Amino acid sequence: MRWFVHMLCFYCAASIAGAQNYLDCHLVPGWEQAGAPRSYTPDNLYDYRDGAAEGYLIFGFTHMRGIDCKHGASTLSIDVSEMADADSAWGMFAANRDPKLPVAPLGMGGQVLPQSLLFARGRSFVEIVETDGDSAANQSAAIQAFATKMLPLLDGRETPPEPVQWFSAESRTSVRLVPQSVLGLRVLRRGYVASYEQGQAFIVSEDSSEAASAVMKKLREHFSTASPVQISDEAFQGKVSYLDGICIFRKGHFVAGYTNLPDATQAASLAAQLATHIPAN
Amino acid sequence: MWFFPGKSGFAMAESSRRQFLSAGLLLPVAAATSRLNLLQSSSAVGKALASPSAAPKLDYRVLGKTGLKVTTVGFGCMITSDPSVIARAVDLGINFFDTARTYQQGNNERMVGTALGAKRKQIVLSSKSHSLDKASLLKDLDTSLSELKTDYLDIWYLHAKSKPEEIHDDMIEAQQIALQQGKIRFRGVSTHFGQQTLAPWIVQKGVFDVVLTAYNFTMDASMNQAIESLSKAGIGIVGMKVMAGGFRGSGHGMPATPQMQREGAMLSALKWVLNKPYVDTTIPSMTDMDQLDENLRAMAETFSPADGKVLTAHLEAIRPLYCRMCGECDGACAHELPIADMLRILTYADGYRQFGLARERFRELSPHQIAVRCADCAECTVKCPHGVHVADRLTRAQDLFA
Repeated sequence: MRWFVHMLCFYCAASIAGAQNYLDCHLVPGWEQAGAPRSYTPDNLYDYRDGAAEGYLIFGFTHMRGIDCKHGASTLSIDVSEMADADSAWGMFAANRDPKLPVAPLGMGGQVLPQSLLFARGRSFVEIVETDGDSAANQSAAIQAFATKMLPLLDGRETPPEPVQWFSAESRTSVRLVPQSVLGLRVLRRGYVASYEQGQAFIVSEDSSEAASAVMKKLREHFSTASPVQISDEAFQGKVSYLDGICIFRKGHFVAGYTNLPDATQAASLAAQLATHIPAN
Repeated sequence: MWFFPGKSGFAMAESSRRQFLSAGLLLPVAAATSRLNLLQSSSAVGKALASPSAAPKLDYRVLGKTGLKVTTVGFGCMITSDPSVIARAVDLGINFFDTARTYQQGNNERMVGTALGAKRKQIVLSSKSHSLDKASLLKDLDTSLSELKTDYLDIWYLHAKSKPEEIHDDMIEAQQIALQQGKIRFRGVSTHFGQQTLAPWIVQKGVFDVVLTAYNFTMDASMNQAIESLSKAGIGIVGMKVMAGGFRGSGHGMPATPQMQREGAMLSALKWVLNKPYVDTTIPSMTDMDQLDENLRAMAETFSPADGKVLTAHLEAIRPLYCRMCGECDGACAHELPIADMLRILTYADGYRQFGLARERFRELSPHQIAVRCADCAECTVKCPHGVHVADRLTRAQDLFA
């Protein structure tokens, strides 16, 4: 029994050390920690992110750890938020990135700005921000150096959620995770949405084909003027208030489609193409 | 949009304010009729998503001395992800929409701008900035205007202030410059806590037109007084967090009570706030059409005894958390802990969400008091006559702050 306790203690200590070493100002030479590390939970995140905490909570925020690092007159705030799962961490990144700027190859995705950097890996969403600065000293190189050093010390997936890859990249302006009520419809609980220069596409994963069928039934009731169309397991198309031309289909346990297009035929054509990229199971 | 210039800088007497409200009732009726026509025409194309069978009953109040006539249920856009919900809310008659520069790093403002499109001029639009100096604030404002695709904001808030010291003269100057440039129409402050200290300062300062404040049924009487004092000074009151954080939890380290997870509980909480005459409008967050329809009902229904029962049940569930400062526990702790003081400190964090202040106050206790751990006592010698679970609460305080 004693060996088990020792092993457990060793494991815990190693885990803590592992969990902490990505938050170290010495990862980049010349930087020193300023002040004590900080830690927040859903109960007190408002204290640090006053007025913006809700934006974290909707992505299943569980806790945040952070430090401030100082070099001369410059200070970098480094915060690592743990979200409910890797998809949510990616969702947090996608919600906070500027879609007009490119995604950097950092973990599941990153974005580098002159005075800040965001990236997500596994359940972690990382924010590095220059909070105090000497305007003459450009710290973007240091910010990127911290991100590069931290990345391998974090655990978890380094690729975006799979459904993101199924959306066509042509004319796409953004892709994101909607944590609740896709298209503003409660029946579509959570899913991915890609916006295009014209229209948007979405993919929602249900637990089973039966559950997806039940969702389709409710959607058909909502869009009662829509008409059936032949795509995958079942589909309908129509022109409706607020979403204009739509086509929604089910493929296995996925409910997906296109909306906000000038007409339903165009939506159906694009939906049929999307369906070919979604796996059958 | 209806604009009634008030006596800027002066509180409007309650009686004249009521007359004002009565006088303005005809316009909304006409507007609602035209919206009904709009809805009817759109339903010819396809049945509106989850749309009510008739145009909703709308209720309006005047937003303090701004004279803006706003629906009592506004729209908090912070977590809205689909523009269709906002577009439909405008068509249904909601005329007050709120966002902020920081929501999703500006992506929220962009989405709101797209959703409103040409309808922007029909509504009252507010945004906020977290920035701490004049230049950054004015830069944020220009970005907000660009993202929201508008050339003015109706209300621009200094965001998330909890003490007077956080509002510097150059922030006020930034709002003044924006006002002179016609980029904003009214100046506001948003606050999630510290209202008891902030409210008298805002009244005395006399430069703000609107206060956006967290306000809900879980808060104590001192909050009512703080908000009422602002309203009496002619400052428009916008309520946020009106559903107590969506009842995800009480914010006291407890899960949401089953009472609050029942259907309609959120509506009861919204109606509770609207039942307060000193609240002019509210900005509940809305993510979908169902939520929009439910919130619209708050303008048609009055706060009823049944609503009160739902909310009381929730308050009863969190009763063991609140100290009534009766003094019965003075000297009762075997380790001489100042029980009432420590419970009050915990309330700063749990009740008012002032975690930093709570930690600061806790660290002002004596080293002996800070070192005590209630979990080390086999049995607690303190028995609260009002049912506060003293040992549990102090343990939470020690876990959080020690």
